Amino acid sequence: MSNRAARLAAINEKAPEFGAVSHLETVQFGPRLHIDRFALKNGLEILACEDRTAPVVAFHTWFRVGSRHEREGKTGLAHLFEHLMFNEVEGRASGEFDRLLEEAGAESNASTWLDWTQYNIAIPKEKLGLVVGLEAERMSRLVLREPQVTSEKEVVANERRFRVDDDVEGAVSELLWATAFDRHAYRWPTIGWMKDIEGFTTDDCAAFYRTYYAPNNATIIVVGDYSEGALLEKISKAYGHIGPSALPVEDYQAEPPQTSERKREVKKPTPTEKLAIGYHAPALGDFDHLALSLLVDVLFGGRASRVHQRLVRQKELAADVRASVGPFRDPGLFEIYASAREGHRAEELLTELDAELQLACEKPVTDEELQRARARTELGLLSGLETAEGKASTIGFYETVLGRPAAAFERLDAVRRLGPSDLLRAARRYFNASSRSIVLVRAELGAASDKAAE
Amino acid sequence: MSATIQAQDSEPALLVETSHDLPLVSVSVAFRRGALDDPEGGEGSVRLLGRLMRRSAAGRSAEQNDALIEGMGGGLGADVTHSTIVFHGSVIARSLDRFGELLVDAIARPSLPDEELGRLQRETLAELSETLDDDRSLARRWFRKTVFSGHPYARSAAGTRKGVQGATIERLRGLYERLICRNNLVIALSGDVTPERAARFAESIASALPPGVAIPDETPEPTLAAGRHLLFVDKPERTQTQILIGGLGTHASDPDHIALAVANTAFGGTFTARLMQEVRVKRGWSYGAYSSLPIDRRRQAFSMWTFPKAADTAACIKLELEMLEAFRRTGLKKSELSWAKRYLIRSHAFAIDTAAKRVGMKLDSNLYELPAGYYEGYLDALQAVTLEQANRAVSERLSDENLRITVVGTDAVVGNDVRSAIERLADSTTVRYDED
Repeated sequence: MSNRAARLAAINEKAPEFGAVSHLETVQFGPRLHIDRFALKNGLEILACEDRTAPVVAFHTWFRVGSRHEREGKTGLAHLFEHLMFNEVEGRASGEFDRLLEEAGAESNASTWLDWTQYNIAIPKEKLGLVVGLEAERMSRLVLREPQVTSEKEVVANERRFRVDDDVEGAVSELLWATAFDRHAYRWPTIGWMKDIEGFTTDDCAAFYRTYYAPNNATIIVVGDYSEGALLEKISKAYGHIGPSALPVEDYQAEPPQTSERKREVKKPTPTEKLAIGYHAPALGDFDHLALSLLVDVLFGGRASRVHQRLVRQKELAADVRASVGPFRDPGLFEIYASAREGHRAEELLTELDAELQLACEKPVTDEELQRARARTELGLLSGLETAEGKASTIGFYETVLGRPAAAFERLDAVRRLGPSDLLRAARRYFNASSRSIVLVRAELGAASDKAAE
Repeated sequence: MSATIQAQDSEPALLVETSHDLPLVSVSVAFRRGALDDPEGGEGSVRLLGRLMRRSAAGRSAEQNDALIEGMGGGLGADVTHSTIVFHGSVIARSLDRFGELLVDAIARPSLPDEELGRLQRETLAELSETLDDDRSLARRWFRKTVFSGHPYARSAAGTRKGVQGATIERLRGLYERLICRNNLVIALSGDVTPERAARFAESIASALPPGVAIPDETPEPTLAAGRHLLFVDKPERTQTQILIGGLGTHASDPDHIALAVANTAFGGTFTARLMQEVRVKRGWSYGAYSSLPIDRRRQAFSMWTFPKAADTAACIKLELEMLEAFRRTGLKKSELSWAKRYLIRSHAFAIDTAAKRVGMKLDSNLYELPAGYYEGYLDALQAVTLEQANRAVSERLSDENLRITVVGTDAVVGNDVRSAIERLADSTTVRYDED
């Protein structure tokens, strides 16, 4: 019997009802590290990556529930619930969770997006046991009371004002997605519509908790300086009492193909006009996602990119231009956001962007451009892996969306294999004006509006 | 593995932290001068210089330099604060030598062409216009202007429209001659680089620069006039407000600097601190509620930051002022002090968990002229803080009477309520959000 098998046998001998641990696989994570996948009997999976570069541990819990699992009238529930997870737990008063963690020197936070919700805690290694216990408690013994739900709704409403209502880019992005999607749940914002946030009840929150916060709907990621045997023993004891849930079948609604351009125009209190464009784009797991991402880097990534050169440097029409391809489980958007310089109109940006996108459909990118995009991709990946926290985020994200915890490195390998033909194919397939949505922002203040008023 | 090579005569200080964890190297080439060297009315000139140096390395065009940097798997920016100019970047380790050559080109051989300056000025003006969309940065800019009114720290390191428009190539070349020299230079490398290779890297940069003259920082200590003063930054259609309240804070050489930092942690430094509990957790008024005490070569500001919905603004300001008064009057409880010390000591692990962070501390120590052993003795100094020291620091360093209150919001909607909510308000000024 191997050392690991012996350790697991010892743990399982004393394990609670659902606490038996099994080792499923070992996956290489870059040239130096590897990830071990374990599972408890209740379906909870653990991805453990030992990394002794600093005496700290990152402990993440990724739940496979996001705003896509909500419904009309209840949008924003996954995000509100993320806030509530920092409140009262049976046997622990409201606030004790954060206080214990901060006293231990931990950094903790959480985030919610379309496909997932994640809770992250980074802790000095000697306090890892505290985190395991606290996280297991809030997975199964959270207390939801009316005053806390009411207060947290107000906090989330204020977060929405900060990120969306008083933020031009946030408001425009929300409108773009609502315009581009008719049926799929990606059409509503993760933070939720304000009227929905105001309308949530404690019962809504309790039902959401019972439905989605279960060990068989979660994966724990542990990265850092820990002892595998001690870690697994703690997890088995802490989570082994929690039974699995019957997870609901998602009411998936496929987005029908968009056949004509959609355009919206809004006025905002901003000194300059803005433009947002969304083209329907492939899911993260689609072979073309990487090709499109690399092409978007050639066009928009960095100061040497084609669009930056054309719109910011040569034509001097834009103050800023950015673009990204959404990293989602289902097809999302390739999103462009541009801000016009004073005195220029959003339509001018659109004309120039169209010319660049058309060019990308006509001629393949050069080897130099491709090489630059590859180098930027590699730098981006490495820069995100400096801390245990960064590694855990990368592992958790790819595991939750693709089911492959080391997919970041797989994508890096694939980037080296993609050629100009792949990028040309992506351009011709996705830069389709009839399947795009556009939001034009008119400036209520400043030079652009003065010009428009003349 | 770490190494520090101290400056001798005109040799630059070199700071190194080696970690072979990833094939990545972080580089900072810093100069001990910054936006305080902007001429009066020429705010933004030093920042323009830093950016123009990067763009015109070795007389190449900006397009060529951008393509070179990105093509080697690197990133390079020029950051200017009041006290520093820092060329900072990171690069895939295999490209470090080429990255070093490019840095030498940017720092010692920039052509500083007039035509590119014109383009950069227009770009910078457009960026300044974009910042008007960001209420939080508007609040910070106006708060700084009011707290440090009459002092060079009131200036914007990013520049003003007038300062950027008025910059000339002669002015920038003069600044380059005066500031970019070996005697102002500090180099820091971290990551997949040995001390020996780092020394060669630093030598290639230092040897390309003239020794120059180290210019002492003669910035005076800031002072704050008495009374509570409100600056309302009026912006249309705000559903919430950005509020900064504060005054003068701390200097790293204050004998009670660490004691005040500990006290601030309990007051507004974390999620479970007093401010967050009262403003967000109990009342749900603001998504965030923090207080901060940054450091520079001279005394910086103490500030409380919240952003409630418009209707809660007056009540939120009133609460914050009451909390500050109570904090000064009764100080911390013993349990709060113990908790804050434990938090700061244990969380220090995350201030030093990467080579880049460790070398960053050494660099700050050098650039901001922190007292000898500031970071080395940080944990012991935290441990030694007593309740009496912390509470004395709060009552002596912070004021609840001499305050600057900056609100970004819609004056017609909340202005009168805000003015009524502030007891003993000495005066109130309203400015348009897009004033220079």
